[in-house]
Amino acid sequence: MIRTFTTYLILFFTVVSANAVQTRFTMEAPGAVEVGQQFRLSFTLNEQGSNLKLPPGIENNFDILMGPSTSQSFSSSNINGKITQETTFGYTYILRAKQEGTFELRPASIEVGGKIFESNSIKIQVVKAQSKPAQPQAGAGGSGGNNAAEQQQGKPQNVELGSDNLFVRVEMSKQNVFKGEQIVATVKLYVNPNIPIAGFDQVNLPTYEGFYTQDVEIPQQVNFTREVYDNKIYQVGVLKKTILFPQQNGKLTVAPFDMSLLVQQQVKQRSFFDDFFNSFRTVKATISSKPVTVNVRDIPNPPASFMGGVGNFNITSDISAQDVTTNDAVTLKLTISGSGNIRLVNTPKLDLPSDFEVYDPKVTDNVSVTSSGVSGTKTIEYLFQPRFEGDYAVPAIQFTYFNPANGTYETKSTPEYQLRVKKGSGDQTAKVTGSLRKEDVQLLGQDIRYIQQGDPELEPIGYTFFGTPLFYLLYAGSTFAFLLLFFIYRKKARENANIALMRNKKANKVARKRLKAAATFLKQNNNEAFHESILKAFEGYLSDKLGIPVADLNRESAVAGLQKRNVEQAVIDDFVSVVEQCEFARYAPASGSEARNELYSKAETTMGLMEKQIKR
Amino acid sequence: MKQYILIILFAIPGFIFAQDNSTQLWEKGNAFYTTGDFQQAISNYEQILAAGQESAKLYFNLGNAYYKAGNINKAILNFERAKVLDPNNENIDFNIKMANQFVVTSIEPLPLPFFLRWRTSVINMYSSDSWSYISLVSFIIFLILIGLFIFSRIVMVRRISFLTGLFILVFSGFAFSFAAKQKKKIVERNSAIVFCPRVTVKSAPAQTGTDLFLIYEGLKVQITDSVDTWKEIKLADGNQGWLQDSCIVKI
Repeated sequence: MIRTFTTYLILFFTVVSANAVQTRFTMEAPGAVEVGQQFRLSFTLNEQGSNLKLPPGIENNFDILMGPSTSQSFSSSNINGKITQETTFGYTYILRAKQEGTFELRPASIEVGGKIFESNSIKIQVVKAQSKPAQPQAGAGGSGGNNAAEQQQGKPQNVELGSDNLFVRVEMSKQNVFKGEQIVATVKLYVNPNIPIAGFDQVNLPTYEGFYTQDVEIPQQVNFTREVYDNKIYQVGVLKKTILFPQQNGKLTVAPFDMSLLVQQQVKQRSFFDDFFNSFRTVKATISSKPVTVNVRDIPNPPASFMGGVGNFNITSDISAQDVTTNDAVTLKLTISGSGNIRLVNTPKLDLPSDFEVYDPKVTDNVSVTSSGVSGTKTIEYLFQPRFEGDYAVPAIQFTYFNPANGTYETKSTPEYQLRVKKGSGDQTAKVTGSLRKEDVQLLGQDIRYIQQGDPELEPIGYTFFGTPLFYLLYAGSTFAFLLLFFIYRKKARENANIALMRNKKANKVARKRLKAAATFLKQNNNEAFHESILKAFEGYLSDKLGIPVADLNRESAVAGLQKRNVEQAVIDDFVSVVEQCEFARYAPASGSEARNELYSKAETTMGLMEKQIKR
Repeated sequence: MKQYILIILFAIPGFIFAQDNSTQLWEKGNAFYTTGDFQQAISNYEQILAAGQESAKLYFNLGNAYYKAGNINKAILNFERAKVLDPNNENIDFNIKMANQFVVTSIEPLPLPFFLRWRTSVINMYSSDSWSYISLVSFIIFLILIGLFIFSRIVMVRRISFLTGLFILVFSGFAFSFAAKQKKKIVERNSAIVFCPRVTVKSAPAQTGTDLFLIYEGLKVQITDSVDTWKEIKLADGNQGWLQDSCIVKI
């Protein structure tokens, strides 16, 4: 029940998907054949077709021995619940090559539902016959069952496992390259079609020393194709495909490597019965490759903006925003695309203003490795935050790569971006930082202090003021000047001291003389002259004794001078009263002679006391 | 007497001319330095030196020019020469420090007792000439104070001037000795800079001497003795040994 249902379902989907599936019409043939050898030319079509037309001109080079024999196959698959089915129609011809050469089979055509479809074109290389024309092909087990050639098999023969019939080699797409230029290295196993390979025993694939390698993904199963090498047809299996980037200069050699294969060989018939039991035995065959050398030339002197890229690249850039506020994050996206050693390309440096907060650039690779080489994109995202408002320039990035095709450096540049930074709102900043930010002084570099300018203050070499005659002379001169001044001053002082002493000594005498004069005036009853002479006597005396010039002498300065000399207050009072009386009496009417006598004796005793006390 | 006056009269114009020429060279050297033509600046400065004139500023600028031209040894040599003439200049010290970053040999100087350190730093406060002037001026102040002491009648003034005068006389004496020390440094020049890229220092003044240690260019060493073409040197860390004098240049 379920089965019927499924069948219906399948049929239903076939109908539904028939429209969706594109019509594919392909032509297949071995790439290399010998002259006179039969081979199959098969066409596959995923729909029912009619009116198949062989490639035009095929009869010129090939004999059509048989065909077309048609076949039909149906396949359906259920992957994750998705069912796909396919019906394939096959048309097979048996051909035989007439002559040597490389021939291109132009597209064949077929009609499907009134429309004409064309197949692909293929190339067939025809070489000279090496073995008997009827030699069957051994390893090329075809998928199509009813093969005329296969029927001829069964006449086993042991082919010698020499280096001509079984070998492995590394094929380099280029032998002379620049450092960093990519090479496709293919490890190929060449097998004479007559040697049946049972399997691989041990496979040591080559290590490419001095190269940066990227493996190309190829099917796990080794597919053998027919290829002509050295004018012979081989079954060729690609074991490994690698993209190489030389990292050293000079001759780089890929060291030989070994591998063992299991080969079926027929045992020589020893008896009659052996013939019935097609007895084979498996032999281990060890083969080793020949060393392959690659000449690597160094790339010429690279400019500063060279980022290590060798190949053909292009760059584009994109900035996330140009009008921002402070502390906004800005991303500059740089995309490097192209083919070459894109994984080895260094990150170009972005010279941003030094007060920007700059984060490490984020680098993502998107690289695909195919048999034509490595290509893809490298995306570098520079993230930075401007901290202060202003207009800034995000500089252009110079990207220089080496193009091995013409052997020159090529530079691509991104545009320069203008960044206008406005001050962010204060609240926001406060919220984020919580307090005012203080910037430390950023040390951008170190250098010596700048040269000194102005007067060079030159002096003869080795000259110092110390130790010169002038230096000592200044000492001696100043001492001499001091001594000179000292003696002059002392002499003067001594002289001055003598005069004062004399006058001091004489003062009493002079004063006494004046007093005597006053005494005569007293006798003469000359009132005015008497008082005046007493005053003069005191004036002269005090002037000499106290060292005060007569012009500066008055009562106050005299009293002060006396007090300074520790004269008793009583004496000073007496002196003051005498002076007062004299000054008063000078201009007053004459008083009695007793009063004048009394004044005279008082003046005499005061002066005597003064003399005693001043001396002390 | 008359002869001397004549000589002075003739010497003065020549001296002034020489000064003028040197000043021109100086200005030109500075201009070359500013435009980045350090080789030209060096040749101008060196011409002033060749004419027999020197100054701390000249050595400083010459050292700068050598530094910029990439000749670190000569830069250090000239900075050290500038330091001898002007021992307490912050700019010179800074540039010596910068230039010494290129010197391979790093030396931990022996720690000095604090009083020696103080003494050195006090002596290095001024150059020989400055100390000479200080000594002279303080001596004259001393004389004035002694005059005050002798002639003053006021007891307090006499007492103070006597004590201060005595102190200043001692100070003048110290300044004099410091000036002598600084002068000795200029005259003797017993420091040197190593110019050979790499020298093995020997234990004796002969090639047969045991190899003691290796020093590299740019290092400042003290010369303590001399035999023929050999010099005994002492490093700041106390190591001593002999090397050929062709390898060092006196500061």
